[in-house]
Formats: sequence, C-alpha cells, structure tokens
Amino acid sequence: MAVRPRPRATRLLVVSLVAISLAVITLDYRGGQDGPLAGLGRSTLSIVVPMQRAVVTVTRPVGNFFSGLAHLPSLEQRNRDLDNEVRDLQAQIQGNAFDRQQYEDLYGLVQLKSSLDPEGVAALVTGNGVSNFEWTVTIDKGSDAGITPDMPVVTGTPDGAMLVGRIARVSSNASLVQLLIDRSFSVAGLLSGTRANGLVQGKGDEDLEMGLVDKGTPIAGNESVFTQGYCVADQPGLYPPGLLIGQVSRTVPAGSDIQESVSVRPAADFSTLEFVLVLKARTDCS
Amino acid sequence: MIRRVLSIVVVILTALLLQSTVFSQIRLLGVKPELMYLVTIVVAILEGPQEGAVVGFAGGMAQDFMLNTPGKGLTALTLTLLGYTMGLARQYIVSASPLLPTALVAAGTAAGTAFYQLVATLLGEFDEPLGYAIKVSLLAGLYGAVLTPIFYPLIRRLFEGSRPKRVVRY
Repeated sequence: MAVRPRPRATRLLVVSLVAISLAVITLDYRGGQDGPLAGLGRSTLSIVVPMQRAVVTVTRPVGNFFSGLAHLPSLEQRNRDLDNEVRDLQAQIQGNAFDRQQYEDLYGLVQLKSSLDPEGVAALVTGNGVSNFEWTVTIDKGSDAGITPDMPVVTGTPDGAMLVGRIARVSSNASLVQLLIDRSFSVAGLLSGTRANGLVQGKGDEDLEMGLVDKGTPIAGNESVFTQGYCVADQPGLYPPGLLIGQVSRTVPAGSDIQESVSVRPAADFSTLEFVLVLKARTDCS
Repeated sequence: MIRRVLSIVVVILTALLLQSTVFSQIRLLGVKPELMYLVTIVVAILEGPQEGAVVGFAGGMAQDFMLNTPGKGLTALTLTLLGYTMGLARQYIVSASPLLPTALVAAGTAAGTAFYQLVATLLGEFDEPLGYAIKVSLLAGLYGAVLTPIFYPLIRRLFEGSRPKRVVRY
C-alpha cells in the first residue's frame, strides 16, 4: 500500500499546477510563435521527432509484413519446414515490395524536386498530430536543412505536385507541418476550367471548401483546383502557382447572392503520406 | 524516488509516441484515442490524486508543446484537474469490479475532452462544429475504454515496482 500524502499538501500542489498551466496559457497567447515558450516547443519537437522516426522505421515494415501474413492461405496441412520456408519467402517478398514502393515514392519525389525546385528539401513524415482538433504531421528535417516557417510542403510525382500544407513550426532537426485539411488553413485556389478563383479552406476530415467563388461560374464535376500565385506590393504569396489542391466534389447550396462555394476533395492522401518535399524557392514578382 | 520519476517519464513518452505514430493511423470512426487522458486516469486510480495531478500536468504539457494551435497549457490544465478528480473519486468508490477502471477511463476521457473543448471555445480557439465536438468526446471515451484492459495492467506493473518501500521500525 502506498503511503498517502496529506490532502492539504495535495490540494496545494494541484492549485500550484493549475496556476502554472494558466500562466503558460497566458504567456503563449501573449508571446505567440516567438515568445519565451517557443524554445520549449522547439525542444519538444527535437526530442520527440527522432524517437518517432525510430518508431515508424520499425512499425511501417512490420505492419506491412503482418498484413502480408494475414493474407496467406492456410498451410496447416503442410509440413512444418515447408510452412516456415513459405513464411520466410513471403516475408522477403513483402519486404521487397515495401522497399520497391519506397524507392518509387522517393524516385518520384527526386524527379519532382529537380523539375519544381532544385533547392527543395525532401523529408520523411515521422508522425501525425497528437490532437483530434488539429491536422498536422511532423517531418525529420528542420532549420539545419534551411527550412523556415511558412514554406509550402508538397508531394506527388514529376507529372504533378500536390499541395500538402505549410511549415508551421521549426526546430533544428524537425518541423511541424500544418496540413491542407486543418481548419485554420487557407490558400488561394484557381478552378482549372473557368480560371475562376476563390479561397480554399480546410474542414478537418470532410472535403475542403472553396468559397468566394463568383455566383454563376460554370463548375464541372471533378474539375481540378490549383493554387493561385499572386503578388501584393511586390511580395509573393506563400504558395507557388500550379500546385494541385484537389478536385471539385460537389457544389454547396448558395448562402449569398453574389458568391457561392464548392467542396473540393484533396488530391493528396494524408493517411499514407510518407515522404514530402519542402519548397524553398519563392515566386518571382518582378 | 528516481525510479518513480523514471516511470512517469517512460509512461508519458510512450503515450506521446504511440498517440502520434501507431494510433494516429488506427482511428475509431475518424477519431484518435486520447492516450494521455487514459494514462492520467489510470495513474490516478492506482496511485491517488497527487500522482494523478502530477502525471496529468507533465503529460499535458508534453502534449501541448507538440501542438500548433496557440493556448499551450490547456491540455495540462485539463489533465491536472482530471487526474486530481479521478484520484479523489476513486477513494470514495467502493467497488471491486474489474470493469471499474474501464468505466472510469470512459467517463473521465469523455468529460475531460468536453472540458478542454469548452475552455478552448471560451478562449476563442475552437472552431469545430458542435456535432464533431460531441462525436470526439464520446468516441474518445469509448476508445479509451477499449484500450484500458491493455494499458491498465502494464501501467500497474510499472508503478507497483517503483513504489517507495514502507519503513517498519521495531
């Protein structure tokens, strides 16, 4: 039986911890991204991301291996040696398939990098956000690789780059990426057919919403939506033009007489995201 | 004492890593489990309100600094209060049912996530629809209940081994 501390001492401790929590909330609001707590945030990222990397290095191939085994036909009648041999071979095939898939993904990314932004940084996705209320991933490259906040993050093949999100926070060896589907994410979008533009906003697990589209714009189903490049006072927008955001899935009933919205299904598959490319090149406004 | 601190660090780090890697892929109707809530409640049940509050605070802070949204410290506030409340509640519940930890984790996680959402709304940092907020609270509670039979024995074994020995004087 544990020795129970006195209730009064416990109450004092809880009140202190609550007071510290409230102080941290206040400091974070006042300081924002550059406040006194930003360093703690960077340290947490620096410590956790290498460990996440170790975990996914183990769990991704193992998960692949077990899913392969689950599909093996029943071999109960066979002799044990043959059974083991089949398992070994199956594991080897699964391992090869996993390696080949990784190779193809990486090769596509390298091609994309050389065609889109030779200075870009390729990174491994090490983990997802811990909360149910924000949509983020962590990657294993940070300020040491030249990454700074607000850089666009893409994935895809040389045929086309798909927008994934933007860099939200950076530590020396890791970064936090805010995904396109996060509710506080927004980007200027362009419909490929009519060249009409609007503001694309994340809606969590639902499809994105492209608002501020002029009423009466003819919109085809499955029409692609790309990022729109723009310059304001010689300052470029965050995202280069022509990155695929997604395809129109449906038109939302009009809430206003002058504008309408459409739902956009994101092009990137965020559940299987493994490698991403962080773009460094900025749009030239001159 | 050192072993106890190490146990807390190990439990929190493991929960944080599992939450962000393995369990972010295994979702229940689109909702991730809230492992830090589970850990806090289980420790509070096993060790009492003081340990519950300390683990809740430390785990909440660790989770907060992995978030992007402003208002870091909110999970720590929620889990400190949750750990303390659950530890206190456990002392007044007279039941030997093996399902008690499961029920407490389900109720505590649902109530804790609802409290978090409420305070985040008051701070103006919560823009999820009400339907989604309710869904997350209920499913996170249910998911926690499903995971409790797996995590409860592991955490109990870890903390029992690190309890300070009682000194008996003759």
